[in-house]
Amino acid sequence: MLEHVVNGLVLGGTYALVAMGLTIQYGIARIMNLSFGDTIIAACFGTYVLFSTLQINPILALAVVVPLGYAASLLIYRVIMKPLVDRAPSDGALEVDSILVTFGLLFAIQGVLLIFFGGGYTSYSFLNTPVNVLGTAVAGNRLLALGLSLVIAAVLVLVLYRSRWGMMLRAVALAPQSAPLFGIDTDRAARTAFAIGGALAATGGVVVSMFQTFTATGGVVFTMKALIVVILGGKGSVPGAIVAGLLLGLVETFVAAYVDPGLTLAAVYTVFLVLLLVRPNGLFGKA
Amino acid sequence: MSEALQISNLHKRFGGLIAVRDVSFSLAPGEVVGLLGPNGSGKTTVMNMISGALPCDGGTIRLGQTDITKMKPHRVAKQGVARTFQLVRPLPTLTVGENVLLSLAFGHRRHWGREARELVEEKLAFVGLAGRGDEQVSNLTYIDQKRMEMARALASEPELLLLDEWLAGLNPSELKIGIDLVQHLQGQGMTVLLVEHIMEAVRALCSRCIVMSAGEVIAEGPSAEVLAQPAVIKAYLGDDHA
Amino acid sequence: MTMKPSIAFPVAAAVLAVLAAAPLFIPDYWTGVLLGMTGYVTLATAWALFSGPTRYVSLATVAFFGVGAYVVAVLNEALPYPLVLLSAAGIGMILALAVGLSTLRLAGVYFVIFTFGLAELVRQTVSWWEVNITYTMGRYVFLPFEGRHIYWQLLALAAVTLLISWAIGRSRLGLALKAIGDDEVVAAHAGIDVTRVKLLLFVISATLITLVGAIQAPRWTYIEPSIVFNPTVSFMTLIMALLGGPMRLWGPALGAIPLFLLFEWLSVSFPDHFSIILGLLFILIVFVMPQGVLAKIDDIRKGGRA
Repeated sequence: MLEHVVNGLVLGGTYALVAMGLTIQYGIARIMNLSFGDTIIAACFGTYVLFSTLQINPILALAVVVPLGYAASLLIYRVIMKPLVDRAPSDGALEVDSILVTFGLLFAIQGVLLIFFGGGYTSYSFLNTPVNVLGTAVAGNRLLALGLSLVIAAVLVLVLYRSRWGMMLRAVALAPQSAPLFGIDTDRAARTAFAIGGALAATGGVVVSMFQTFTATGGVVFTMKALIVVILGGKGSVPGAIVAGLLLGLVETFVAAYVDPGLTLAAVYTVFLVLLLVRPNGLFGKA
Repeated sequence: MSEALQISNLHKRFGGLIAVRDVSFSLAPGEVVGLLGPNGSGKTTVMNMISGALPCDGGTIRLGQTDITKMKPHRVAKQGVARTFQLVRPLPTLTVGENVLLSLAFGHRRHWGREARELVEEKLAFVGLAGRGDEQVSNLTYIDQKRMEMARALASEPELLLLDEWLAGLNPSELKIGIDLVQHLQGQGMTVLLVEHIMEAVRALCSRCIVMSAGEVIAEGPSAEVLAQPAVIKAYLGDDHA
Repeated sequence: MTMKPSIAFPVAAAVLAVLAAAPLFIPDYWTGVLLGMTGYVTLATAWALFSGPTRYVSLATVAFFGVGAYVVAVLNEALPYPLVLLSAAGIGMILALAVGLSTLRLAGVYFVIFTFGLAELVRQTVSWWEVNITYTMGRYVFLPFEGRHIYWQLLALAAVTLLISWAIGRSRLGLALKAIGDDEVVAAHAGIDVTRVKLLLFVISATLITLVGAIQAPRWTYIEPSIVFNPTVSFMTLIMALLGGPMRLWGPALGAIPLFLLFEWLSVSFPDHFSIILGLLFILIVFVMPQGVLAKIDDIRKGGRA
């Protein structure tokens, strides 16, 4: 029982982490990014390569993979998203365009991963020693993953809510039309937000790869779960994403443990639908 | 004698803010009534509740004999309520004629086919857009878009017409045209509730006014009397002018 | 594109007759190509029926397509063929109703997100069911159909789909759909039951897509979830409809024909890079022609005249 709670929290912690990335991209840059999960998977493979060929430990790999995620996302924003943002007559049009373009991007990234790594399940063994937590054995890599997720999430919340720069980003999220009146460069804010989102996806990928197997085609499920967490938490709400992420991780772990591992996605969808019917604006969303 | 519209004890809250508090009034058939008040006084909220766009938190709305309080917008429309929007909302992928055809096809009375096309032409002619049914909406000037929106509202042959600042943003000569049009409707016996800030239009059109402030009705009666009341002037212009 | 019905119908009937006769004169390989092409013409047209005017982008084409194929795989030995098709249509319809009822009342983006994961959800659920309840993984379809029999069925379905699309475009329903795509609030205030119209169209569209999957099922002989729930199907349908222009009757069909041939060639010539090329091509299409090729041609024509 306790073992499942811990595992659920570990999984939920990573969901919360990546969902924060997605919610920042959607809330500030106004891009609904369907290739988000494939960024995560790409980071998983990146970490795997660093670990298995160069023996670089995943924690150090963060220092390589995360800046790469940031830079790649920045490039994608500049080359692909910016022209769409400029031409979109309305938020709705941008939403449709960004959904379509990132859907294409999803296939492109997936295609690259398939060429290099094939379609099989991949994993590596790192810190796979059991650690005793309150009487149950938990794999060390999972504890580390939980710790990393919590620390990174905490840093992000601090930056967003305590720094001038975070205030600027939140201003753009809340009032994109009037933010420029206060001298805020919305274009720069959007670009940065999209890149931070990518960096968080990369972080999530590194963390997830430490304790889970992954495949080149697994991005869709990650995107889906991150999206569900974002909606459950309330669009653009960081605390909401954290609570919803942990909730989803717990639900999934318990369904896998007590019902059937094959039904986790069905369970996730059920939670999504029920909550949408009860609270259409999410747990922390405003009416 | 039955009222065309009867509103009793209407309530609306947005979170902690009470937007509409205990509002009651009624319109007799064929009456043109102004709903006035400063910005944020709850006029548009009342309009939205009548047309079904917003659910009510309390009170009842009756259209003739029918209780429309809990109806969704499309059902309210089918009961015979038509409206225009504060900012014009033409449908850009439809032609001017199709915009009007829409409420003929789905509104209060349902028409389709050749008969509907003739009615579209008739409504367009009424608002001064005769023969322009095949044009793209984007080619219309602002006043013409407003005309089209009026034609769209009238096409459903409504029992009650809600005009939400329909005259706003027009220049003086256009304003005259607009006032004439509403007077024309008045002559045909249409019941109209209009939210309006332009006093000239209110004086010309409305036999009666209802004034709201901070979600409540603060005055009601013949236009000339109501507009002269100190409480109304105060609500509009602040204490200094009272 | 704006021929009078009195001319267009005989022309369409003649084209249909030629297409139907084609397998008697061409090699089997080309019948296979025609079959695949007709399948995608139907998929793209059916997809655009709902997603075109309403702009509710459905990413779940393969969820319905796969359900259709799988129903045939499960029932093909238990029931006569017409009943199998009917069951497939019925199950697709029920699935579409469930999805539509739960998401179409909400903003469009929830619908997109929901459909995005739907195929994966259905695939996992079907796999789970097969492994744990029926103890079978993979099924055989034994139906006495050759390529041309399947092709004729698909051709009939394509004709029906285009006919439905044409009829809707001329009806009140078509007007309502366009209005909903432009502004749902105005549409509702004009008296349109917005949720009902969306639900109706989504169900019609999904049922047609389910039937495409069902009719094509005998092509595979052997079926398992990972084969029939291949996400590339959703993706290709979407590209084709977008390229051709989802707001026009013939748009999706005209997008499907060249792209299908291109994809055939690509998948043979660059099997490993297929997915990348597909993705990049798609990004390009969204960039260059958001309204589809036909709209682009119209623009050019108008520009030329003005």
